[in-house]
Amino acid sequence: MTKEVLVKMPFSEGRAFLALFLKGLAALFLACVCLSAFAVTEENIVIDLSGEPASLDPHVQWNPSSYYVYRNIFDNLFTRDNGGKIVGQVAETWEQTTDTTLKLTIREGIFFHDGEPLKPSDVVFSIKRIIDPEFGSPQLGQFNKIVDAVAEENIVVISTADPYPSLLAQLVKLSIVPEHIISKVGDSKFNDAPIGSGPYAFLEWDRGNMVKLIRNEDYWGDVGPFLRATFRSVPDVATRVADLRAGTADLVVSIDADFAQQINSGGTGKILSALSERVGYLGLNLEKPPFNNLEMRRAASMAIDRQGLIEGLLQAGEVPISQMLTPSHFGFDAAVPPFEFDVARARAIVSTNQALASSPATLATSPVFDQRIVQAIQQMLNDVGFNIAISMSDMPRYLEIVTSPSSRNSELSFGRWSCACQDADGVVYPLLHSSSSWSRVKNTHLDDLLEAARSSLDPEVRQEAYNQVHQIVREEYLMLPLYQATVLYGAAVDLNFVPTANESMFLNRMRIIR
Amino acid sequence: MIRFLVFRFSQAALTIFGVVSLVFFLQRLTGDPVALLLPETATEDDIKVMREVMGLDQPVWSQYANFLFDTFKLDFGFSFVRNAPVSEIIISRIPETLKLAIGALAFSMLCGFPLGLIMAFTARRQVSKWLMAFVLACQSLPTFWSGIVMILVFGVWLQWLPTSGTGSLSHLIMPSISLGLLSLATYARMTRTAVLEELDKDYIRSARARGVRTARLVQKHLLRNSLVPIVSISAIEVSQLLAGAVVVETVFAWPGLGLLTMQSIAARDFAIVQIIVLLGSFITVSANLISDLLYSIIDPRIRP
Repeated sequence: MTKEVLVKMPFSEGRAFLALFLKGLAALFLACVCLSAFAVTEENIVIDLSGEPASLDPHVQWNPSSYYVYRNIFDNLFTRDNGGKIVGQVAETWEQTTDTTLKLTIREGIFFHDGEPLKPSDVVFSIKRIIDPEFGSPQLGQFNKIVDAVAEENIVVISTADPYPSLLAQLVKLSIVPEHIISKVGDSKFNDAPIGSGPYAFLEWDRGNMVKLIRNEDYWGDVGPFLRATFRSVPDVATRVADLRAGTADLVVSIDADFAQQINSGGTGKILSALSERVGYLGLNLEKPPFNNLEMRRAASMAIDRQGLIEGLLQAGEVPISQMLTPSHFGFDAAVPPFEFDVARARAIVSTNQALASSPATLATSPVFDQRIVQAIQQMLNDVGFNIAISMSDMPRYLEIVTSPSSRNSELSFGRWSCACQDADGVVYPLLHSSSSWSRVKNTHLDDLLEAARSSLDPEVRQEAYNQVHQIVREEYLMLPLYQATVLYGAAVDLNFVPTANESMFLNRMRIIR
Repeated sequence: MIRFLVFRFSQAALTIFGVVSLVFFLQRLTGDPVALLLPETATEDDIKVMREVMGLDQPVWSQYANFLFDTFKLDFGFSFVRNAPVSEIIISRIPETLKLAIGALAFSMLCGFPLGLIMAFTARRQVSKWLMAFVLACQSLPTFWSGIVMILVFGVWLQWLPTSGTGSLSHLIMPSISLGLLSLATYARMTRTAVLEELDKDYIRSARARGVRTARLVQKHLLRNSLVPIVSISAIEVSQLLAGAVVVETVFAWPGLGLLTMQSIAARDFAIVQIIVLLGSFITVSANLISDLLYSIIDPRIRP
């Protein structure tokens, strides 16, 4: 029956439908295309972030997508210049008056975006706000050594519970917020429309989509080169790279070497990179076989080709390391010898105790890390006789595993560490002191050294203590540092931006090349 | 009928309650959000303080009771990850997902129906086979892949369309097409089957015998009668679109509920995930409920 009917339906009518359909589709498409516009002007810089800022209140959330934006809205007490040196921002001069007090002279002539002057009382308010447990700042741990702050004329005196040598490094992250605004509108409304004193003022926050800032023409320091700045949330890295190549973004963050090659070969953008303060490492469980044995740890270290991982996989200029610090950290010791790569010796060591080496061990990792590296490490270790299996879990579960007691912890874990303070205290203390949930080490001598370095204000005393720490870690293979990570940005060819080790992004330090 | 209504409404309410309860407890088995919120250098005391602030120090049953009680009062809680009330965040995202869903549905219907008609009219001819191959390709393409390819071709190479984001009608085109491709295939195939079935019926043959032209036949008889099964699958398609939006919104940086869901799950933002699940299950269950009720009106035999 169907066939009979179909025979009656002339083919030309079916074709006519198809033609009509295609014409209609083309018309709709062209109508929409005509409405689109691509205008990337030097008046507006568009920056693609990997996520939406969780907060624009600088005392709340502390992650790159948030601080890339709010550090342009607010001035901090201190900052680091592009060379990594701590310099005053709101604090003009400073002096350590006693072991536990720091005296700051507050810079005059700084104004919030509503025209009110920034006063020493705002500094005191900011400090007390962030250390107040009831405020519940996720950054509390970075400032909880501060017990008090007092303002007298243009002086602020900060007191700490104990001598705290990394105080300045932590204060680099303390933004100054206006007391008069927060007292008036409350925390929540302040987060919705923040007012700071930085080089850019808040303009608009289209939740989930973008944040727009406008240049502060009356800024006391270097005025930004762009009239406006738009920070967009673009979670997919391929889309961020496409945005840059299409010219709809001027700067994109968080790209890897593969995408960097695409950008370079496309000719529509360039790659900017810097060695960061992030360290890739292998954590070892010292209480479980096989890595409760020094020789096995030595063999594991010898089996890993750090240079090969960098040249073959990472390919972004990373540097092999033999301590948990980078040259950008205070406490780095250039004299620590590199780890040797010797597969034959690693095999020989393993063969002396094959039963121990072949005991099953898991390597904990999370999807946020580069799995090519994790798989390569597994392969290298198994090649010399270990029996390593990868255990992949998402970030919260991974964090639970690697901070659990040794009995429940995995035998190995891959990690990348950054304290964003460029001070050894933020790296080796949590990773090696027996009181820390991150540490798998129980060594009283090491604890004493870490505490001595934490409580002395004498840089030489601290450096000497850290030198000994690195030596112990190196000789006993307590952890296996792998490489100093690189931070990569994709940028428009005419944008001059200098990436830094602490992954800062200050708009007023950028320039347009003409 | 009243008995049927009471039965179906109770069933729907129970389903939503079950889904939301399940998600509430499952989320809490998947890791601690405090570990993600705090920096690595946070001490045990810092973690304890944050857990108290977030209410996670309470026993799980107590958290569950609070959640049910607050939800009943339409108080959807506060997101500590995004530092804003959950209701504000979700309300700001709903219009974007609706735009995308409407765009995708419009694309899939506008293209799916004519393609289905053409395939039916040209059945057993080469054109129909090519079109069927195209439709099958649409159904088989992974959404993230088709999205990326479209971005590359129309955004980067041709620069006809914006690569990502939202703001104008042109921003909606690629995400809508990417999301709508799967539904397009469903509509095209359903239309083809329905039209072929109708073409087989006596009234069509009579109409053709009377000399009714094809265009009029389609407009007056075929479309109306073929639409019944097609419209009935739209409820299911809406649920599919909401699920597909998770991927499409991520690829195109479209600030809707799908992207929010993915980010909130990754950040263990319990408060947001719970309410999105509640909203999603409410929409799905409601669509099915309405569909069942309509069926029961059309065909009373299905009533218990």
